[in-house]
Amino acid sequence: MNTAKRDWQALLTRHEMLLLYVLIAEWLFFYFAGTTTNRRGVVVGFGTLDRQFDILRHSCEIGLLALALTPVIITAGIDLSVGSLLGLCAILFGQLWHDGGLPIPVAAGLTLALGALAGGLNAALITALRLPPLIVTLGTYSLFRGLAEAITHGSITYTDFPETFLFVGQERWLGLPTQAWIFFVVALAVWLLVHRTTFGRTFRTIGLAPEGARYAGLPVARRLALVYVLAGLIAAIAAIIYTARLGQAKADAGTGYELFAITAVVLGGISIFGGTGSVHGTLLGVAAIAVLKNGLACLPVVMGMNAAEEMSGLLTGALLLLALTASVLPKILSHVRSRPHAPAP
Amino acid sequence: MSSPLLALSQLTKSFGGARALRGVNFDLQAGEVHALLGENGAGKSTLIKIVTGAHQPDGGTITVAGQIVAGLTPAAAHALGIACIYQQPALFPDLTVAENIALRLEAGSALRRVDWPARRARAHDLLARIGASIAPTAEVRTLSMPEQQLVEIACALGAGARIVIMDEPTASLTHQEQHLLYAVVRDLRAHGVGVIYISHRLEEIFMLADRVTVLRDGQSVGTHPVDTLTEAALIRLMVGREMTQIYPPAESVPGDTLLTVCDVGCAASGVHHVSFDVRAGEIFGLGGLVGAGRTELARVLFGLTPADSGEITLAGRRLSLGSPQEAIAHGLAYVPEDRRRHGVVLDLPIAHNVTMAIHRPLFPTTWLRFGAERSLALEFIRDLAVKCAGPAAPVGSLSGGNQQKVALARWLATKPRLLILDEPTQGVDVGAKGEIHRLIRRLAKEGLAVILISSDLPEVLGMSDRIGVMAGGTLTAILPGHSDAHTVMAAALGTPEKGAA
Repeated sequence: MNTAKRDWQALLTRHEMLLLYVLIAEWLFFYFAGTTTNRRGVVVGFGTLDRQFDILRHSCEIGLLALALTPVIITAGIDLSVGSLLGLCAILFGQLWHDGGLPIPVAAGLTLALGALAGGLNAALITALRLPPLIVTLGTYSLFRGLAEAITHGSITYTDFPETFLFVGQERWLGLPTQAWIFFVVALAVWLLVHRTTFGRTFRTIGLAPEGARYAGLPVARRLALVYVLAGLIAAIAAIIYTARLGQAKADAGTGYELFAITAVVLGGISIFGGTGSVHGTLLGVAAIAVLKNGLACLPVVMGMNAAEEMSGLLTGALLLLALTASVLPKILSHVRSRPHAPAP
Repeated sequence: MSSPLLALSQLTKSFGGARALRGVNFDLQAGEVHALLGENGAGKSTLIKIVTGAHQPDGGTITVAGQIVAGLTPAAAHALGIACIYQQPALFPDLTVAENIALRLEAGSALRRVDWPARRARAHDLLARIGASIAPTAEVRTLSMPEQQLVEIACALGAGARIVIMDEPTASLTHQEQHLLYAVVRDLRAHGVGVIYISHRLEEIFMLADRVTVLRDGQSVGTHPVDTLTEAALIRLMVGREMTQIYPPAESVPGDTLLTVCDVGCAASGVHHVSFDVRAGEIFGLGGLVGAGRTELARVLFGLTPADSGEITLAGRRLSLGSPQEAIAHGLAYVPEDRRRHGVVLDLPIAHNVTMAIHRPLFPTTWLRFGAERSLALEFIRDLAVKCAGPAAPVGSLSGGNQQKVALARWLATKPRLLILDEPTQGVDVGAKGEIHRLIRRLAKEGLAVILISSDLPEVLGMSDRIGVMAGGTLTAILPGHSDAHTVMAAALGTPEKGAA
């Protein structure tokens, strides 16, 4: 018991280190295999700064959703609705600006409030009615996407956003893609919340022992409500960035993103059973997946492997399973070693 | 003496750097009840795990019926007739008794046809052999804890167990249920089974056991026939020092009335018409049988299941306790019965557990202050003599007694006015038990009002200034602290003799 627990802690720190090695290895591989010079003598592929910025730009939305899910999963919950909510918020934002005639900042502010409200719906169903988060968010997963499609009749796409707004998604500010700054601020805020405040401490306690948290007088229902409201708010931020990057708001925005985000969170070392894990682990998980996806896209340029991009799903899955295996392997090995050899028959 | 059923010689076992066993000798004869005693952390659990094949010893030999056994696995132990009855029965709650027994005992292909009548008949026979009147068709979830233990014993018998290990089998049993279990143990002995009996209840040892082996710090410090020992001698063997008095004497003089409970009830938890008061500096014992409603009453007072009738007054102010947060704000604290699920969070460090109920006062800005937290935890570790690697050690790495001290520290940190202790010494070794008793006395002396719920009758008698006795969800008698066991038991059984109400 004693040593097993300590092993588990050592393992966690090791897990994040392991992930860092994987990320560096991935990056170096693609740097050497995915960079080349074209006929006009220009360096193209993975090794260019543009491509690196592209990776960052494309990771922001899934990264934000992964950040939204981190506190949720630490409380041993789940939110499957964040991808659908991204789509709904994108539509609401487009509609408020285009049909409502509101200035962009006002429309964005209202969208954030609506996102938090949608998260509040999840929170109310989960805390007041004590329904399981998986079922509740499976319901809102369909509900939010369905609402988005109903509003647009499945066909309306909002476009022609002003240049000043597109700057957020397509330009650089202080040397980095503009949305990266928003992502960093949210990441820092979530990191501080989870690792440096009593809120984060309470999330962890709820994830490990929900009844025990109640006996200790912790406000379990309020804290659970907070993580789902926060998830809704961050999904709305992701929706606005998504719209700014593509210059259009469609009902199918962010389809399937929730599963990428959950993959990144689990790859980052957060137990789906709650209580363990870290925000920096989540960020490493997001980076490992983003580099893999984008790196593969660079390979055809070099090796003529057209199927490479299609392999990203396969490799992401393999990476996740390998990382999970590698993190439990030392424990299993030490267990096997501690057994004496069976006596000769 | 014939060759013993089981002989352990110079067993050693280490976990990481910690040496759990450092040369243990033990032997068990057929038809003997051999008690195994020791403080928590003395190595009892490790020893059991080695005998049942769950752990492999680093050194030493295990001899079963004259044959040296190496590389014992759980399956091999089972085949050798070694069975273990744990405190918490490990049965499948949704299956019937007969199905649970069949799972352990029936061999054969997964695709064979099930002979239901034979399966039920076998369960019936086995249960009859130990004198249990349990229907083989009953779902295990409908059985009480002792009934489940009887099913476990029936499984062991059915598997032809020659060596039965019982790990604190009576810890959660009521008085009558305990006596039923004693009869079963005696019956096993009469049938030539060797029983290794582990318990913290000394009176049981004297009643049941033939011999006693005491473990201390991973070594056996002696094996003695029970009739050559006294209780004091046994405690001395366990803790390595003489304990002159098991219960510390009362030093405090109770002050003004702090808590008044008037006709309180909670329909949802079966508590009704409870009235009593507790004074500052007083230890108010709450006795009664398991299921009498004592824990339920504590949960009502702490706001976990709020009262729906009656009045609760604290220091002259009428309270409405709708949640634990409100109870804590008024200076109430509750150390719950189920330590591992409610009392502490095993996976979190000691420091996090200690500060869990004082987030707001200790971290007023919601930012964690790790330095303040650490020094507070260190203070309690020193004050309560918690044996641990440091404030960052997870509570799950501590022994039961030390876990309980952490649970206490969490509530002492709230600087409460009223402390409700629910079975504070259950599953705690003798040494830590004495420390907890002295601590309760000290707190009362400092003016804290204490409600002490305990199923350990001598503890209630030895510690309380007054004793409330519960039966059927209500308080049936309030007795003076110097009452004798007979009076309290009579009140608990619902035949109250006139008490000073």
